[in-house]
Amino acid sequence: MGEEALVFGPGALIAVGLYLVSMIGVGYYARSKRQGNSMADFYLAGRSLGLTVLFLTLYATQYSGNTLFGYTGKTYRIGFEWTVSILFMFSIIVGYLLFAPRLVQLARKEGFITPGDYISYRFKSKALTLLSTVLMIYALCNYTLAQLKAMGAAVEGITNGAVPSAYGIVALAIIMVIYETLGGMRSVAWTDVIQGVVLLIGFALLVVIVPSQLGGGLDRVVEKLSAMDPPKVQVPDWQGINTWISYVFLLGCGAAIYPQAIQRLYASRSLAVLKRSLMWMSFMPLTTTLIAMVCGLTAIVALPGLEKGETDQVLARVLALIMAQSEMGYWLVVVIFAAALAALMSTADSALLSISSMFTRDIYQPYMKPDSSEEHMTMVGKVFSWVAVVILVGVAIVTEKTLVRLLELKFEVLIQVVPCFFLGLYWKGLSRQTALAGMLAGLAVALGLTWSGNRLPWGFHAGVLGLFVNFSVCAVGTWLRPAVLEEL
Amino acid sequence: MEHRSFSLIRSEPRKVRWIWLVYLVLYAVAIPWYWPADYVGPIVLGFPLWVATTLLAILVLAIWTAFVIHRFWLVDDEEELADG
Repeated sequence: MGEEALVFGPGALIAVGLYLVSMIGVGYYARSKRQGNSMADFYLAGRSLGLTVLFLTLYATQYSGNTLFGYTGKTYRIGFEWTVSILFMFSIIVGYLLFAPRLVQLARKEGFITPGDYISYRFKSKALTLLSTVLMIYALCNYTLAQLKAMGAAVEGITNGAVPSAYGIVALAIIMVIYETLGGMRSVAWTDVIQGVVLLIGFALLVVIVPSQLGGGLDRVVEKLSAMDPPKVQVPDWQGINTWISYVFLLGCGAAIYPQAIQRLYASRSLAVLKRSLMWMSFMPLTTTLIAMVCGLTAIVALPGLEKGETDQVLARVLALIMAQSEMGYWLVVVIFAAALAALMSTADSALLSISSMFTRDIYQPYMKPDSSEEHMTMVGKVFSWVAVVILVGVAIVTEKTLVRLLELKFEVLIQVVPCFFLGLYWKGLSRQTALAGMLAGLAVALGLTWSGNRLPWGFHAGVLGLFVNFSVCAVGTWLRPAVLEEL
Repeated sequence: MEHRSFSLIRSEPRKVRWIWLVYLVLYAVAIPWYWPADYVGPIVLGFPLWVATTLLAILVLAIWTAFVIHRFWLVDDEEELADG
């Protein structure tokens, strides 16, 4: 047991291939539904997303390849302590409550396309807008890289090495960028509907099959785990508790200001639709992240002794075991695999679209061609998507890092933009100089600690300590030197 | 900064302090700081007691959040956003 490979037969490979090609079909359909060549139409689907589409695109974008591969691997390494993943994924919705009500009103009134539009409008500072945009683009590139790497590993796995990882990355990235440039946000959101439904089905199958077939039920899994490796069942120690608190801030603040998430807030048809989508999203960690954790726990019992580097493939190995058991198991795994691809692609395509919009709107337009038309900007955005994909695919092929590690590094920097939203929307006295000083101080702390090897001092993430310094600078700066009215 | 654009907002969760007190209490239950060191406890629905408690707290947090969004995030006309 444990030596089976996750290799698909010709029928399954054709089914997965058809599923992927259907995404391009959706892209063509989305292109036919465009209302014009404006940036709002391309990047925000003309601010027309209804309840089902908005909810499923939020869901498919937020739950990524990390949830399936990274989180099962992390549970394999640390056990029940990873229950924190359910809490921090929920905390993203609480993060929205701290700024979204004002941002969505303002975005509609002022016609924002990117998060940088808000920062530019609020602070009227080129330096602050540029730094925020660069940090957000860096974070999203990092995020996209993790998804691309996982896509490559998945394709290599199911073809038993016949299609090497690099070819898998290239093929899936090309499919993604084709449908993205065809229909922009409309394509991405509509493919997210398909991917979101497949993802939900995949998780439902995982929770039904994995613990019962491989571990004899969850009770039995926990019983065996208690005997095999007691620390993985025990409550975390004080440093572990600090890390829980830190994760709540890291994700609750950081993931709430993901540019692709903010653009989905901008793209909703109405506030009623947005509110209902977020209400549903509150419950999704319990139907998604919890299941990933249960699969990781089952794997500790079913596949003991994996080395650290192998743990991000633990879900693939678990699926290989199920596939070897029966014909039905084989086809269920094909569906779950499609869900894994859906998770990866739906996150990567959304991040890519956001990167393209931020480069075009916040860097190209103000610094290279201020008087460009909407049509020209949309065209530049499409060309940039292809350039970005070529660069990211190149980097994905040559780098090595585990999925969760990539996730954490991007938050260390992204989270430093949080005060611009959480405080900027509510504190009239927060000046551009103070916000910039806070951001730089936060970055210095986060990167200084990370580079000096203190990634988790006392269990807190370096980025969260940086955010604390950032908030403190903003509070003291606003108290000592509030912005004058003319500046606002 | 132009603040007239917010005149449509009738209520927003951030402005209601007791909402955040409830969050504080629920998070304090969800984060397992209060158990003895190395605690596992009896198995409840397949989970050790401390995990089951955290999961229940997260479920209550989700219900609370849905209620807060429904009841405390209000604008004059929620469908009006569509027309700008």
